[in-house]
Amino acid sequence: MPARSKVKFLFVLPGILWVLAFTIYPLIRSLTLSFTNARMGRTGQFIGLQNYIRAVGDYRFQNSVGVTLFFAISSVVLTVGIGLGLALLFNRPMRGQRVFRSLFTMPMFTAPIALGYLGLTIFHEDVGAVNTILRALGVADLPRWGSEIWTARAAIVLVDVWQWTPFCFLVLLAGLSALPEEVYEAAVLDTSSGWDIFRFVTLPLLTPVLFTVIMLRLVEAFKMLDIPFSLTNGGPGAATQTMSFYIYLTGLRNFNQGYASAMAYFLLIAMMIIAMIFFRRMRQNFD
Amino acid sequence: MTHRHQPLAARILLWGIITIATLWCIFPFYWAIITSFKQRGDILTKPTLIPWLQYTPTLFNWQNEFGQRWPEISKALGNSLIIAIGASAIAIGLGTLAGYGLARFRFYGWKNRDMTMWFLSQRFLPPMVTAIPFFMVIKTLGLIDTQLALILANATFTMPFAVLILRDVFKDIPVEMEESAWVDGASHLQSFWHIALPLAAPAIAAALVICFAFSWNEFLFGLILSYDRAIPVTVIIAGVSHTQGIQFHQVATRLLLAILPPALLALTAQRYIVRGLTFGAVKG
Repeated sequence: MPARSKVKFLFVLPGILWVLAFTIYPLIRSLTLSFTNARMGRTGQFIGLQNYIRAVGDYRFQNSVGVTLFFAISSVVLTVGIGLGLALLFNRPMRGQRVFRSLFTMPMFTAPIALGYLGLTIFHEDVGAVNTILRALGVADLPRWGSEIWTARAAIVLVDVWQWTPFCFLVLLAGLSALPEEVYEAAVLDTSSGWDIFRFVTLPLLTPVLFTVIMLRLVEAFKMLDIPFSLTNGGPGAATQTMSFYIYLTGLRNFNQGYASAMAYFLLIAMMIIAMIFFRRMRQNFD
Repeated sequence: MTHRHQPLAARILLWGIITIATLWCIFPFYWAIITSFKQRGDILTKPTLIPWLQYTPTLFNWQNEFGQRWPEISKALGNSLIIAIGASAIAIGLGTLAGYGLARFRFYGWKNRDMTMWFLSQRFLPPMVTAIPFFMVIKTLGLIDTQLALILANATFTMPFAVLILRDVFKDIPVEMEESAWVDGASHLQSFWHIALPLAAPAIAAALVICFAFSWNEFLFGLILSYDRAIPVTVIIAGVSHTQGIQFHQVATRLLLAILPPALLALTAQRYIVRGLTFGAVKG
């Protein structure tokens, strides 16, 4: 193929320019903002690292970091864990598998904000679906989903698990069904224990796919905003206020744009670390 | 996998788990649908799960939605439709070009691999980080509360999907077909347009669906960039709850109108979902 042809730039340039204009330029703007005390309408003065120092000591920001970490870890563990379990179950010739796969696609494409509001009706303490079922099962002490810290957090995790377990399931199932059959035939001769086969054969072979799923889930979970926004509005108190949520309140409700930008950069740095780990492992995939 | 015949108990367990997973998956949709056919009184007095048996379904909420409340919701649905179509068209246009460029040519200096990762890295970017400056830029351009502003925002977020899916697809199309065209004197643009593009059409359609769905579902930028004329459906449903507590029966119809278009559309892109959402890292 003629490598020196200039036409190749024609193909990639529009995309590159678009990213420069709508991603890189805003990123630079927000970096410069983060060193100022800009508020609504006021451009602000350069104040050095003060916003960053303030963020480190801000207990509400610390709270949002904790909340985000909690959601990210519990969401990743549950979605990947359940998804893996289901994928192992489904990885066999089975009638109706296409139907199940279609069915499990739908949650991923449900607007999270709508899901949060739907969750409000499902987790309603008196007439919600969950408590109705619990009552029917004879549970006397019904959870008060909206008004207690850990039940509110659990509700958000449940909604997120509902939405993203199917993603983990489908990807891991695709990974499993791509594994070479001969390896299993050899393994069955060596050991009779299904657990041993899983631990010593399936799991090592599946590691790259598992790694991809975990990283992609981690990224999405770190950005979480819509579900807490709609389901709990960050409450009770600030118990479900994620980093994105707190940055939103600071920058776009209270219009403290300089400070919000500094906090946003903390979030960005966290994401860059995850991205670096991901790209280091996946590099050869993009050649 | 192994085809051993399983004991009955294991099969019952398997189908038990599958049934539970299926019920768990469809329950929220089921709940939204049955709630949309309930009367206000039925919702508040006794929580019920089975229509006809436990309560008498009514079309009232839907008549209300398509009657009295229609102007508001139809405007939002129209906005969402225009925004999602515009954004996914731009994302696919740019993504197809870039995907082809990355699949077919070798770049030096800034290598293909690094360029691909650069496009993908945008997906790692939390929208909240660019939201504030994006808002300021849009304000400077005088585009606040326009569909164009939201088209620009969503095209930016969904483009990585398009680039990565299309790069992957063009790599799978044998280069030999295009090579023979080049020998016959066709240019790269001609072979791209007449050979590669038609072959990639199903994947392009699937990528379009994925970008459409994510644009339709986007909330944060809709919230900050629109306040009246350009409000998308995700923002309009955020308005229903806060005034006087949540009105179940009114919310349910709207949520269904917001949820169903992308969820049903995504079923047509089934074959590309795994590949698309893992950016080609896992082949589905």
